Amino acid sequence: MCMQLGGCRFDRERGILIELSRDESWHLSRAELQVLTLLLAHQGQLVSKHMLKTGDGQGPPLTDASLSRAISRLRSFLGPSHEGLIETVKGQGYLLRPSNGSEYRGINYLRLHTVPLWSALVLFGVMLAFSVFYLKHTDHSKPTQALMTSILSLASGQQVRLNLYADSSASNTLLFEMGERLSTGLIACGKSDWADVYASLSHDKQVLNMTFRGEKLGQSVLRNISISDLSRPKTFIDSAWLHEVNICG
Amino acid sequence: MAKWLKWTISIVILSALIAACGVIYKQLATSRTMMLSCSSELFDRHTSANPYVSASAGSNSRDNKFYQLVDVWIAANKAQIHYRYFNLDGTSAGHISMRGKVDSIEANSMTYRVAVETKTESQTQKQQNWPEQMKYLYSISSLNFADAGVNHFSIEVLEMDDTKDYALVLLQPSNTICGCRIVNSRI
Repeated sequence: MCMQLGGCRFDRERGILIELSRDESWHLSRAELQVLTLLLAHQGQLVSKHMLKTGDGQGPPLTDASLSRAISRLRSFLGPSHEGLIETVKGQGYLLRPSNGSEYRGINYLRLHTVPLWSALVLFGVMLAFSVFYLKHTDHSKPTQALMTSILSLASGQQVRLNLYADSSASNTLLFEMGERLSTGLIACGKSDWADVYASLSHDKQVLNMTFRGEKLGQSVLRNISISDLSRPKTFIDSAWLHEVNICG
Repeated sequence: MAKWLKWTISIVILSALIAACGVIYKQLATSRTMMLSCSSELFDRHTSANPYVSASAGSNSRDNKFYQLVDVWIAANKAQIHYRYFNLDGTSAGHISMRGKVDSIEANSMTYRVAVETKTESQTQKQQNWPEQMKYLYSISSLNFADAGVNHFSIEVLEMDDTKDYALVLLQPSNTICGCRIVNSRI
């Protein structure tokens, strides 16, 4: 009678283990044959060392060393991918996992059967809740970047950074035009208290907001200017007006 | 111990850990406080002369000039923002106050999303005398209020320097950029 065992076929009558992929066969020793026969007879169950050593009681019992050697040889016959079929149960004996070409799936399947269905459902629920929590609460936001940043060099050698902010990357002609006028006005200052200038237009393009920031005696100095212009075309700012409101600081 | 009991205990412990993480996260998110004070000069350009307001300096100017003070207060999940407007002589030109709750805090972008639940403003019959910026703010803060009873806005801290009591914020949906003094912050 032949039996499939991992990548091998076991011919019990002839005491041969045949490696199918390479078509090689090994003659098993008495100890190996006794151990494998008993393990196959109790496949999926723990077989004690004592039982493996005594066998059917017709021959002399095996020693601990010969049992270990037999197990080791059988594992090497089965090869690296199937040697795990013979599992050592520490201090008790050995167990031959069920084998029909898909032994690992079979084992997992068997183990899953020991888990109550509701436990798996609860675990799934917890994982789902965790995923929802993660997706809902994980911060994916990015800081708003200036639409355009330019460095203005004044006659004094000082540099002023001009930052334009918009809520959209389209239709910003008016904002760029105001940025140009502001640049011209600041450069005309020759010298300024400001290190950074920020500008934005309201969503309806009716209000221009400008923030000036500089430093004096180690303290930051701020000035906010908000200009509403309902005229058409809009002026908001020009050189004369910037001079009038003392934009240089 | 039966396997099902081990699984149950494991799942209970795992659930408790996840719940604890959620509570810690919520505590951290809601323990943030921010108080800002911002002042602006407002110019209404090319508007017809208004007898109730002061014209800015310059003989040829037709601008009306005002001052604006904005106070932003965010603590735990509550938020308030008060806009006050003044004429050049210091008299009040109007105010708008909004109160609501913090819907969410986006830590990466330092953005507070606020749902405004109550809003009060100066007498609307005097609206003609309001600064144009106040009219704009009144208009944009009233969006959705009539229908949904709630209006949303956000405050994003673009730059911040605690040592110099300075923060640059971007208010949406008005797309207003403003430099403010930090009165108190724990974010």
